[in-house]
Amino acid sequence: MATVEIEHVDKVRPGGQAVLHDVSCAARDGELLAVVGPSGCGKSTLLRLVAGLESVTVGVIRIGGCVVNDLPPQRRDVAMVFQSHALYPHMTVYENLAFGLRVRGTARRETDRRVRQVGARLGLEAMLERYPRELSGGQRQRTALGRAMLRDAAVFLLDEPLSSLDVPLRAEMRRELAELHRSLGTTMIYVTHDQSEALSLGQRMVVLAGGRVQQIDTPVDVYRRPANRFVAGFVGWPPMNFLRAESLADMVGAPAGEAGVEYGVRPECFAAQPGGPDDVQFTGRIERIESQGGEWYLELALRCGRVLVRLRLEQALTVGEPLRLWVRRADLHTFDATTGQRVESSGR
Amino acid sequence: MPEPTGVASDMGVPTRMARAGAYLGLAALAAVTLFPLLWMASIALMSAPQAAAGTPPLWPQHPTLANIINVISQQHIGTYFFNSLVVATATTVLSVLVAGSAGYALAHVGFRGRRVVSGLMVFGVLIPTQALVLPLFEMFREVHLVNHYAALVLPVAANPVGILLVQAYMRGIPAEILDAARIDGASEWRIFRSVAVPLMAPILAAVSVLVFVVSWNEFMWPMIAMQQENMQTLPVALAAIDREHYQNIGLMAAAATITMLPMVCVFVASQRYYLRSVIAGSLTG
Repeated sequence: MATVEIEHVDKVRPGGQAVLHDVSCAARDGELLAVVGPSGCGKSTLLRLVAGLESVTVGVIRIGGCVVNDLPPQRRDVAMVFQSHALYPHMTVYENLAFGLRVRGTARRETDRRVRQVGARLGLEAMLERYPRELSGGQRQRTALGRAMLRDAAVFLLDEPLSSLDVPLRAEMRRELAELHRSLGTTMIYVTHDQSEALSLGQRMVVLAGGRVQQIDTPVDVYRRPANRFVAGFVGWPPMNFLRAESLADMVGAPAGEAGVEYGVRPECFAAQPGGPDDVQFTGRIERIESQGGEWYLELALRCGRVLVRLRLEQALTVGEPLRLWVRRADLHTFDATTGQRVESSGR
Repeated sequence: MPEPTGVASDMGVPTRMARAGAYLGLAALAAVTLFPLLWMASIALMSAPQAAAGTPPLWPQHPTLANIINVISQQHIGTYFFNSLVVATATTVLSVLVAGSAGYALAHVGFRGRRVVSGLMVFGVLIPTQALVLPLFEMFREVHLVNHYAALVLPVAANPVGILLVQAYMRGIPAEILDAARIDGASEWRIFRSVAVPLMAPILAAVSVLVFVVSWNEFMWPMIAMQQENMQTLPVALAAIDREHYQNIGLMAAAATITMLPMVCVFVASQRYYLRSVIAGSLTG
């Protein structure tokens, strides 16, 4: 187990393309740190820098307190699970699992014992003599995980490990991963483009966009107090609604519209009844209705724009009818319209 | 009148016809390709008068091994055969080693000037052998390698076609597999040996067949570089026999058959593998 510290790291590709700008973050000992961002934001590159598969242009990476910038991946004491699983296609599951141990000169009997132990733990006993092409997606995923486990490394790096699986299997593997992290207690850095995966798995999360860190916090705090407009729109599904302040000012009971700010409201923060005297009232016309079991997804046309609303409501709704809803002041996020940064004073 | 047998046969008849047509076409093509080779083998088994009679007949009247025995005993064909075998085998082994490592490096090892080297390989393919013969001869004379097996092996050891084939094939292998081996702790040499080489085995097999055939059939350079008669290879010797015994068609056919035989064996033995890898290379490369 070890900490991973990434300090002021820049990565510029040989062609001059800058991928990461001044990235600083740290995974604490035994922590599962989720790195999330849209595709092309540099999150996989960040992971490859930690693994040593690519070199840092500027900055320092420390694993367990030691600077590893110049160490090759072989000497960094990290294990990695790749998006494509990257199993050796010409080797059986057994050989895939045993390869790392053999390379390190582990005794044959010890190798066999550990491979079978990990195989049993991951439910691969019956698959050991099969080749990767003969496995299902989930079995390949488990083999890749097993290979990382046998590496017995201080740090686990996971690069979108679930993205190649279908949805039901993904949910199952997500649970297994969380369970694995709990039982191994290894420091893990988990890269994903799926914000719900980061919210559910990460103990803390790093939101990356355009090669820059947008926010580092616990999932709950990232969700409740997004640092800027990008994070607010990226984390949470369905995404947050944004409304210009000028137009919101003339809404009944709306806070005085400050020039140059934008308000954000999550779809699930609308209520059919006022919760307190401070609540902001919205009145609009229902444009579209979608029922999701006990919940309604409504598109509401306000005077200042359209918003998506997620509502638990017993009464039947019809398109075209007016609707009055309330939002707690604390759930009204304020962002600077030019910089996109969160404005705290009227936030909560 | 036959009973209609339903949809399946309605669908099946044209398909079966089309398949039969395709096989017929392929058989015709095979016959056209094989005919001269079989005729040559047949002439090799004819007696001298029968083979010499204008256009030789298709089938030997009294099959005899006289031509073959003659070629082996009097024309030193065994020596030439041995020379060809040594040269072709050495060339194959060496160029597979070079093509395997160079193609892998060009596809998956980041080094300065990689693109330039790749470009030079393509350029190398475009240079005709004829243009190289004179400077090559000068070079080998200076290092005293004329009339030496090395003169035939070294110039083709780094085969640009082979290198480009391996490079294209290896580009189809995801770099993540090699990265995974790095994370597993394998040294670069171990990755090459335990991961890259097994993955490129099919293309190496194809390259070795290609190189062996080209090397075995090479004529111009061996004729120039091997001036001592006992160092000559089969195709060169065959041309000499042709000049000396131009009226003895049976003898020539026997020598040609012996020259061709190893090629046929190599191809028949490796054709499944060979075809599969050529297709795989084109799909992934």
